[in-house]
Amino acid sequence: MKRIIILIILICGICVICGSGWSDLTADARRQAGEKKLNVLTTTSDLKSITEEVGGKYVSVKSVCEGYQDPHFAEAKPSMIANARKADLFIRIGLELEVGYEPLIIEGARNPKIHIGTDGHLDASDGVSLLEVPTAKVDRSMGDVHPFGNPHYWLDPYNARIMARNISGRLQKIDPTHSTWYQANYQVFIKKIDEAMFGVEASAKISGDKLWDAEISGKLDDLVKQENVALGGWVEKARHLRGMKMVMFHRSWTYFINRFRLIAVGEIEPKPGIPPGPAHLRDLIQKVKSENAKVILTEPFYDRKSSDFVAAQTGASVAVCALSVNGKPEVKDYISLIDYLMDHLLQIK
Amino acid sequence: MRYFIIVLCLSFSHIMVFGQGTKRISDSGAYFNPDISVIVDTYYQQSSGSEGIAHILEEVSGFGHSHGDAGHEHGPLEGLNFREAEVYFSVNIDPSFYGYAIIAAFEEGAHIEEAVIQTTSLPYGLEVKAGKLFSNFGRLNSQHSHYWDFTDQPLIYRLTLGDHGLNDMGLAASYLAPTDFYLLGGIESFQGDNEQMSAYSGEDPLPERLGPRVLAGWLKVAPNLPSKHGLQFGASFGQGVHQEIHDGNSDGTDDHWLDGHNQFWGTDFVYKYDSMKAYGEGDWILQGEYFRKDGDLVVRRHDLVPALVSRHKKDQKDGYYLQAIYGIMPNWQAGLRWEQAGLVNSERLPDGTRNSFAPSNKSSLALTYRPSEFSYVRLQYSNGNYETSGGSENISQISLQLQISLGKHGAHKF
Repeated sequence: MKRIIILIILICGICVICGSGWSDLTADARRQAGEKKLNVLTTTSDLKSITEEVGGKYVSVKSVCEGYQDPHFAEAKPSMIANARKADLFIRIGLELEVGYEPLIIEGARNPKIHIGTDGHLDASDGVSLLEVPTAKVDRSMGDVHPFGNPHYWLDPYNARIMARNISGRLQKIDPTHSTWYQANYQVFIKKIDEAMFGVEASAKISGDKLWDAEISGKLDDLVKQENVALGGWVEKARHLRGMKMVMFHRSWTYFINRFRLIAVGEIEPKPGIPPGPAHLRDLIQKVKSENAKVILTEPFYDRKSSDFVAAQTGASVAVCALSVNGKPEVKDYISLIDYLMDHLLQIK
Repeated sequence: MRYFIIVLCLSFSHIMVFGQGTKRISDSGAYFNPDISVIVDTYYQQSSGSEGIAHILEEVSGFGHSHGDAGHEHGPLEGLNFREAEVYFSVNIDPSFYGYAIIAAFEEGAHIEEAVIQTTSLPYGLEVKAGKLFSNFGRLNSQHSHYWDFTDQPLIYRLTLGDHGLNDMGLAASYLAPTDFYLLGGIESFQGDNEQMSAYSGEDPLPERLGPRVLAGWLKVAPNLPSKHGLQFGASFGQGVHQEIHDGNSDGTDDHWLDGHNQFWGTDFVYKYDSMKAYGEGDWILQGEYFRKDGDLVVRRHDLVPALVSRHKKDQKDGYYLQAIYGIMPNWQAGLRWEQAGLVNSERLPDGTRNSFAPSNKSSLALTYRPSEFSYVRLQYSNGNYETSGGSENISQISLQLQISLGKHGAHKF
């Protein structure tokens, strides 16, 4: 028995020595190579894209989900746990979107740096105005309902600004030596968003914050008239989409259609996360006909059969759209994601 | 049973305290209370043959009898089965520890399946667990029955480790290497009271062996593959003190006593393909394990043939299973499993007799419908040839399983 105890102590000892030696070595090697990149692990490719914009050369970012993947149902693959083991920062969308895999990655990684509640764990939803927050008691007979609100908030460009602010703030906190760099990159990124949203001319003459305040309170037209500038960008394009009635497969685009004032008349899913049955589709077809909805918007990972069926019965057209960066080859970063969605919907119209 | 009553009392006292309190109090209480979930596992099963599959499994040549623990009838029984209701409690205890307890309640009583304290904040990728726990050796051993892709466990598990696998009071330490690929290694020490693998009596004339009596080690390696693919390999090794007491002439009194150890080692793999379609459609899971056990016992006392004292009894057994699960359509899975137990199945008795037995094999087909993550219905058909002293018996089994999961339940590992 003594032998067994000695063996355990020995092996634990070796593990500790190897462990400390190993991480010291890698840290030393990095220092010598002159690259002091922060390792960041994000849950989605959108968070990865924004983190890369803000962090630039000082971060090395990996994402758990691919852009074409359903972000609710990724697998906590061992390779992701290996990445989390070495991460300095873990960033999630939050609102229980990642509840199926985040706990396994964080627990499995044995990395106290990224535990929830520490500086190495960031919930990017902090400060976002949430939609579809249930007001009554929820239970699972309602499907995969999110008790804290709809988590697909990244498809509103205003929220991308908030996400970038959160990410920049946290990078500055854990890597203060480069805080001016992160702050500057953040400013560049939100300027890009503002220009894409309101056009170069408007955002050159009016501050981004002022434009967004006006947009949110519905006084954007008054503001540009008063300042005598022309609007461009997504706002201008979205005028052609305003009031367009559509059906979503899952409520993935709620924030997008809310920002650009489209109207959702129903979903292919009878309840979140529950695949449709014939009775629900019959009701939906009636609704699509009576509301005269023209578009069925569906995520790449859902089967097209139900959407095609409703489309065939109603004359609406089906649009399979990426909802994350890299969801389609042409969607390279956050700005091109919104560009892509906007252009796709305009084409169908 | 006692544990179950305590748990019931505790949960009622919670309901009473918070039920009468103001909303604010009940909210903060809910914050620090453990997450609770209950898994109810029930199935109907029918098998061909006169004595039922549970009886045949006790009679498989070379694998001996399983004795089971008191008060818990080992299934599967013919007809309607209520396997268990597993009650889960889990919570972060403080900044250093996480704890969980799993109580399996069945008709005749309840037992603690796991009650574990686990470190959360050790440096260098280390983690230590203590309490009553499942060994992480192999792939299926640490998985609770509700996570299996088939209603029953593979033969080699059932025949060498019994219904509950390697589950015991123990201490486990593991280490996740800071490598670019996944490399996790662990070493575990258990008290040792597994009926088939590490039974211990210590009664005279057998020597007393102080616990812990089982030592196990394992390694899991996963290469980095493109996002749709996931692959993991595992290797395990273990050794445990084992003692046997026999009544050789069946006269009702024990007449020979053996003492020694069992060694076991195994290797496993799992490959998962994610089709990136919703509701599991088009996904594949391929999985297999090989497992071997070697026993070496010495006769300590023999009342019938005293000359056999100090002679050895040695035995070797092995087995494997291979299974494939495919998402045939949204929320539906089909599974196919092939398994053999006893490819190596031999023993050398103290008197020099050598026996060797033919392997048993079994194939299973399962169809699972999952209306959501929290429930499933499974229809399974199995056909097996079981090698017994009376020759090979062919048994078909059919089962219909319903399982539900209530409450907040943790996600499942890769």
